[in-house]
Amino acid sequence: MMHTFKINYWFLSSLFISCFVCIPLIVIGISLFQDVSGYYQLLGETYVYTYIANTLLVLTGVLVLTFIFGVGAAYLTSFYQFPGSTFFTWALILSFAVPSYIYAYSLTAFFGYFGNLYSFLNYLFGPSDYHTLIPKVDGLLGSILSMSFSLFIYVYLITRASFIYQSQNLVDAGKIMGFSNYQTFKKIIFPSARPGIVVGLSLVAMESISDFGTVSFFNIQTLTTAIYDSWIIFDDIATAYQLSFFLIVIVLIFFWLERMSRSRSKFYMPTRGYEAINKIQLQGTSAAYATTFCLLLFTCSFLFPISQILLWVIQFPDNIHLAQLIELSVNTVSIVILTTLCLIVLAFFTNYGMRISKSKFLNAVTNFSVSGYVIPGVILAVTLLSFLSFVSKLANSNWIHFLFSGSIIGLVIAYCVRFYSLAINGIKSGYEKLNTNLDDASYLLGYTKFGTFIKIHLPFLQPNLLLIAMLVAIDILKELPITLILRPFNFETFATQAYTFASQDMLEHAAGPSLFLIIFSAIFILLSKKYILKGF
Amino acid sequence: MLKKIILLLTIALNAASAHAAEVNVFTARHYSSDVELYAKFTKQTGIKVNVISGDAKALEKRIVTEGTRSQADVFIDVDAGNLGAAQHKGIFQKISSPLLIEKIPAHLRTDYWYGISKRARIIFYNPEKISETIAKQLNYEDLASTNYKGKIVIRSSSSTYNKSWVASLIENNGTEQTTSWAKALVQNMAREPEGNDRDQILAVAVDKADIAIANSYYLALMLSGQKGPEQQAAAKKVKIVFPNQNNRGTHMNISGAGVTAYAPNKEHAIRFIEFLLSTEAQQHIVNTTFEYPIIDQVMPNTIMAAFGTSFKQDTTSVATYYNNQAQALAIMKKAGWR
Amino acid sequence: MAHYFEFNNVSYSKNNEHILTNVSFSIPRQGDTVAILGPSGIGKTTILKCISGVRKIDQGTIQLKNKILHDSHTYIDPEQRNIALSFQDNALFPHYTVEENIRFGIQKSLFCSKNKNGPLKYSMEDLLELFFVPELKNKYPHEISTGQAQRVGLVRSIIHNPDLLLLDEPFANLDQNLKDKAQKNLKEILKSTGITTILVTHDKYEAFYLSDYCGILLQGGIVQFDSPYNIHHIPNSKEVVEFFNRGVLIPVEVVSDDTLFNKDLGEIKGKLVKKYEKGEQVNLLIQPEDLEHDDSSTLKFEVIDKKFRGTNLIYTLQTPSALQLPVFVHSHHEHLHAEQEKFGIKQPIFIDHLVCF
Repeated sequence: MMHTFKINYWFLSSLFISCFVCIPLIVIGISLFQDVSGYYQLLGETYVYTYIANTLLVLTGVLVLTFIFGVGAAYLTSFYQFPGSTFFTWALILSFAVPSYIYAYSLTAFFGYFGNLYSFLNYLFGPSDYHTLIPKVDGLLGSILSMSFSLFIYVYLITRASFIYQSQNLVDAGKIMGFSNYQTFKKIIFPSARPGIVVGLSLVAMESISDFGTVSFFNIQTLTTAIYDSWIIFDDIATAYQLSFFLIVIVLIFFWLERMSRSRSKFYMPTRGYEAINKIQLQGTSAAYATTFCLLLFTCSFLFPISQILLWVIQFPDNIHLAQLIELSVNTVSIVILTTLCLIVLAFFTNYGMRISKSKFLNAVTNFSVSGYVIPGVILAVTLLSFLSFVSKLANSNWIHFLFSGSIIGLVIAYCVRFYSLAINGIKSGYEKLNTNLDDASYLLGYTKFGTFIKIHLPFLQPNLLLIAMLVAIDILKELPITLILRPFNFETFATQAYTFASQDMLEHAAGPSLFLIIFSAIFILLSKKYILKGF
Repeated sequence: MLKKIILLLTIALNAASAHAAEVNVFTARHYSSDVELYAKFTKQTGIKVNVISGDAKALEKRIVTEGTRSQADVFIDVDAGNLGAAQHKGIFQKISSPLLIEKIPAHLRTDYWYGISKRARIIFYNPEKISETIAKQLNYEDLASTNYKGKIVIRSSSSTYNKSWVASLIENNGTEQTTSWAKALVQNMAREPEGNDRDQILAVAVDKADIAIANSYYLALMLSGQKGPEQQAAAKKVKIVFPNQNNRGTHMNISGAGVTAYAPNKEHAIRFIEFLLSTEAQQHIVNTTFEYPIIDQVMPNTIMAAFGTSFKQDTTSVATYYNNQAQALAIMKKAGWR
Repeated sequence: MAHYFEFNNVSYSKNNEHILTNVSFSIPRQGDTVAILGPSGIGKTTILKCISGVRKIDQGTIQLKNKILHDSHTYIDPEQRNIALSFQDNALFPHYTVEENIRFGIQKSLFCSKNKNGPLKYSMEDLLELFFVPELKNKYPHEISTGQAQRVGLVRSIIHNPDLLLLDEPFANLDQNLKDKAQKNLKEILKSTGITTILVTHDKYEAFYLSDYCGILLQGGIVQFDSPYNIHHIPNSKEVVEFFNRGVLIPVEVVSDDTLFNKDLGEIKGKLVKKYEKGEQVNLLIQPEDLEHDDSSTLKFEVIDKKFRGTNLIYTLQTPSALQLPVFVHSHHEHLHAEQEKFGIKQPIFIDHLVCF
């Protein structure tokens, strides 16, 4: 090989960034070789199997429900026209504005002792013992419902994209073969959308396995809570790391599944467009079923939680401190914007580096680093803290530590590590639609690599960019454990404020911040709904 | 580019504030009204209070990990067991404050951390099922009695309040007795532990159980109407009793504060804690949290006061709770207490 | 004196597959047009990609205007080479209109290499018109057909006014009528602007029409590189003959410097392209235009096939030794010969170029 060796700056900087993100994983890997304390024995004796069982139960429940909700809604809105279909197509996305733990709070608000349902029945039918009537929606059921309603959106969007890109041809092929609508779906459309569906479900799985806020609120002991407990309560960081390792292994299975399916469904978009599907108009009972399904889903996943929060706000207006909420807003919005900018820049850098250098090594490192997405936020924060302490001890400098811990910068870095995956993959999927031929064409017209980036990539990726920015922003808005641990003095976000109240049994006080969180998320969603629907 | 600006700003801000008098408080208590309290302190002393509130354990973790570089001055937590654990991790440093020693009874403080408010772990019961005479005689140890089979609700064993409580039982009654007591108690549970303290009280209110064990302030909280009219009505249905009045007294626990080991503003920290024991601060605390005050000059909030202020309080040193907590948890778990 | 462009001993392989092995050719003067002909899949497009720099060669040198573009020490980035390539699977930027796409070729900007020639004397509108896509300026690539997109790509490359223009099957998707006109226009543009061009095509007529030199790319590399006339009349190997597939080889004996003898055809006179020994047995290439039809001739063979080509017919005649000879006849000939009829060959047989192997 006589390729002249030029220092590829893109490659190096991308490599550096990706390595940085791998740190939590490496720390945990190292700890694997440390001793286990009595906690582990305790676990073995009593409840470890319950933890695993609970984790799997929650996971299974969530996967089943998100599949039904997501694929069902995607199917209906992609192929059919029925009353409200245009509205529901984007309205369903609003459920993404409600984090799982806030959904949990609203379930408690409604179904809890002397909750809103009780008051409602009381109001309608007079006092009575409704407690036996009202179902208890907490624990496993509550966790599953909360997570399903807030996560199904992943399956919905990705499945929808798979359906749409298949274009009219498949539908026509089915007609020619004489299939009914249902048969066409079952035999042609569904199989080819399957990789996409698996991608969506894998994402859901990863999210739900690493959830902490919801399960701890409902007192369900899962692997994640066990990790938290062993670290926090039993002071056994080694076990915490080890359990994290197992958790990551489980997650990597889903992650691998997602990669496999993603590559199977990957195709270089031709530089021409695709043909949009001709939607079938539904009539009569079918239309009624379709509308009802979507309406129920929308009500449950968005209207319900927001109504509970609003009821709280109305019932307990004293809990709303406007000045505090404004301060929260300023804090939250600034950190969101700052981090989003950083992440976008990082993601572009890495993707461009991968695109230019075509290095398998860089690809592997990047892929490895993105699974850090699933480390419980708590562990992530701690590993970063440990690493920073280690580094600053080495450098014998207070300054480094001071800069990163308990500061906005440290928080931003932690967010970047956590959401690196989302940003990278989001931009990457945009790049995948851009044929590398076009890069060549641009070079041959005399444009430098940077020029190509500015004039060809950026404009083309703009919808993607906006979409990813919005998604990252919303994720940071909702983020809880990392913010709780690493935030600087006098700094609260909507999420931390709501959580602190909820965990101190002052749920009604959580209404204000929760409401604002949902509103801001909803605003971000609405601003980018066009891109969300197209770009996923 | 943006990062550089932030960097500069952060340095500038920190540099600027380094000269201002301040104290950095890590607290596991979170009441929006505490902000007013801190403002009072600042007004009195000119020292700015920087607060970071959150999950106690997470805060501890951060202080420990940051080590000598930690910026924390004061650490406040609920439950003496937690405070003991924190001390064990080296979070606190010994301070000497004659004022604190004078104001706080010996069994409610150590050299490292100091109680700033009290709470009792009491029995809530359904007056229609249990007569007042019987109730008034109740000891914690009676909860093992077969009379109460299927009638007791209590929260999970992992609750730090329970751990301290059982730790205190171990301290007073020994391991063996506490072990059999725990087993019997589990047999008496009306359901698997679920929910928090307030849920246990509500369970009694809706007749799912006859007896609940919970912290004292919850009653006041519900009666105050802050949790809505229904809970207020429910709270009226239950009665309370301070157990063990015929022997050592009711189990007490504290919220406490201490100065951190590497506090950059040690003197300010001591002043801050001393402030928390002032009449003004104690009054504020009892009226917002419905806990009992440490100092005698202050009366508990009227709602709590209505239930009696001169009940006998267990003077077992809160310092012992931590020592026995690990064993307490083991006993509970082995008894099948979820 | 160095040639304007040199492509020497180039090898390129991908995934352990050798695509190009030791390929060489050159363009002597600036302003020349070279066509690379060859069967599909042989690597014609790869050559263009290597020249443009978007693929890196494994061995060899590429040189343009006395500057090394790629050899064992140097590699110049594509954006610095001032070479334009019109892709076969066109590469128009999907988020820009046709006009904006073409402007990419002309503009100078911060993001562009400084190595650019001045503007072309043809404007964008001129070129669009000449390639029959004038009204498409404001359309997006997905709104136009593949053929139109290809021509827009062509315009974009030409207007760039490069030192070297590489065209990959530029008119592949054009129907014959437009193709002729487009080729004519292209030739005129190239000649009047003096842009040096390498054209890759599988269409022989296109190659012959447009180029000053043709290179035939077969398995072993560029087997012949010569003017179109010579390629046609003096192919240098059997492989080239087979590639063009227009003629047949018949066994002859060398009688003298200008005479050959075949059992069926008798004496054949003409100029031997290569010297042979008297009495040597060789194979003579007979192309359809070599034999003339003559009804009055006594040398007659049976017609076994007849191809009507519009302007001409090609008869296939069978000789007693089972040789199949193609003969080219104007279609205005008085009478058509049916199959199995006897068809006369004019004697004496005189062929200008006697190409033997």
